[in-house]
Amino acid sequence: MMNVDATNNNIVLSNVGMIFPGEQQVEALRDVSFTIRDKEFVSLVGPSGCGKSTLLRLVSGLIAPTTGEISVRSKTPAQAQADVDFGFVFQEPVLFPWLTALENVILPIQILGKRSPVKDQEVIAYARQLLADVELSGFEKHYPEQLSGGMKQRVAIARALIYHPPILLMDEPFGALDEFTRDRLNLLLLHVWEKIRATIIFVTHSITEALFLSDRVVMLSSRPGRVMSIVDVPFERPRTFDVRFTQEFTELTAELRHMLQLREVADDGQP
Amino acid sequence: MMANHDNVKKKSPIIHTLSEWFPAILLFLGTIVLWQILVTVLKVPRYVLPSPLNILEIIIKRGIDLVIQVGWTMLEAIMGFALGAGVAFIAASIFVHVRLIERSMLPWAIVLETVPIVAIAPLLTIWLGFGLAPKVVIAAIVCFFPVLVNTTRGLRSVAPQALELMHLLSASRWQVYFRVRLPSATPFIFSALKVASSLSVIGAIVAEFTGADRGIGYVVVSASYRLDTALLFAGITFSSLAGVVFYQIISGLERLILYWPGARLPE
Ligand SMILES: Nc1ncnc2c1ncn2[C@@H]1O[C@H](COP(=O)(O)OP(=O)(O)O)[C@@H](O)[C@H]1O
Ligand SMILES: [Mg+2]
Repeated sequence: MMNVDATNNNIVLSNVGMIFPGEQQVEALRDVSFTIRDKEFVSLVGPSGCGKSTLLRLVSGLIAPTTGEISVRSKTPAQAQADVDFGFVFQEPVLFPWLTALENVILPIQILGKRSPVKDQEVIAYARQLLADVELSGFEKHYPEQLSGGMKQRVAIARALIYHPPILLMDEPFGALDEFTRDRLNLLLLHVWEKIRATIIFVTHSITEALFLSDRVVMLSSRPGRVMSIVDVPFERPRTFDVRFTQEFTELTAELRHMLQLREVADDGQP
Repeated sequence: MMANHDNVKKKSPIIHTLSEWFPAILLFLGTIVLWQILVTVLKVPRYVLPSPLNILEIIIKRGIDLVIQVGWTMLEAIMGFALGAGVAFIAASIFVHVRLIERSMLPWAIVLETVPIVAIAPLLTIWLGFGLAPKVVIAAIVCFFPVLVNTTRGLRSVAPQALELMHLLSASRWQVYFRVRLPSATPFIFSALKVASSLSVIGAIVAEFTGADRGIGYVVVSASYRLDTALLFAGITFSSLAGVVFYQIISGLERLILYWPGARLPE
């Protein structure tokens, strides 16, 4: 049963619901429907526990939805996973401490073996290029233990990109970093994205971050997560930090924050 | 003298190590001297407490024999260590992949662990005779449990996100095991191997107590029958040395294999 608008490279969620079974059933998501266009940068914003991580795991086929359907580039998430369509960056860098930065970046290619889209003789050069893109030239031979939190996260981004995934899923990738590092990495991510032009689904708690990075921001309500609103971000690209000091940006930030808070109050009022 | 203080950091590593150990060595020598003086002054009978010189005399006189005997014990310990750690490693690897096997076997491994080794030793001597076999088996049994528990824990220490990452790449079980689980487990494995190395020597010696005609345990037991306390002390010294040497070998191996920064678990 193929959805009409799924015959392309979009990601389409139709009435997706997720209930985690168990003694204490948890309804994480309810009736979530929206479409992410090819090469679009979309942020998911919502309170803790509203199912943002669950949504990423559903899209990438790590778990299957209880109800509804997900189509990824006209395939099921499982098929898309088999085609290695996803790069994933978590809040923790999850680098392997026994491998250098360069070796960590190359690891996915070694796992993929024959399925790798990058030719063997080009892998190292491309991995070095990616490390340069995330401003880590000169750190190829460093072990994760010798890198700062922000540097590790940049290695994780390079690792996620090494096999050219058309879709990059990022689960609060800068959530554990200090504000300055986070700002720098926001800018850096935009530069990298301009180059690779993958679809990015970016989970964050920060409305500023979401507005600065995204084409659209999907606002989720608290558990069970539902789509509260989808906001188009009007700022031109390429963006610089200056955009964050414009009146338009400030107003939009206030509006979104207001929306989240109103909804929280309304939810608390219900039995 | 005070001016030297600043130079300490610039000294070569060897000299630095020496100066680090200096207080401990001084304490050791002091104790030995005090012991010698007290035994001489108080005229303590030799069979109750021999003087350090008595012990040294025995070590010099029977040195070659003691080395041979401790060599036997080491052989038993190393063979038992290899057997016990090897079986434990394979078992842990299976446990991580097949939960059912773990749930059926782990409780019995724990039961085996709680049986005092001194109680099993005579039984194994009856079954396996007075040769190497029962000593190797006892040493293997004492090594088995720490390696099993730590290896299992190490193989499971992988972050769930790391496994999800492998899943997104459709990695095979083998790839996950060899590229992720095993390297993650090596720090845990080595911390268990160090414990097991000391335990294996103790296991072999205990086994020698219950029936043997060679090995350092045999030397100790027969010396105690003859109230040859000086020989007993020499035996104890050599047993400890055997444990220390084995431990140091494993430690050296650990430094070699765990090459990446931050790899070694705190002691
Ligand atoms: N594997 C799971 N089993 C049971 N409950 C889960 C599982 N994963 C997530 N949940 C629950 O689903 C809800 C949403 O979780 P999550 O997607 O991690 O939220 P978020 O990422 O927005 O903070 C939470 O209440 C969480 O406890
Ligand atoms: Mg989350």
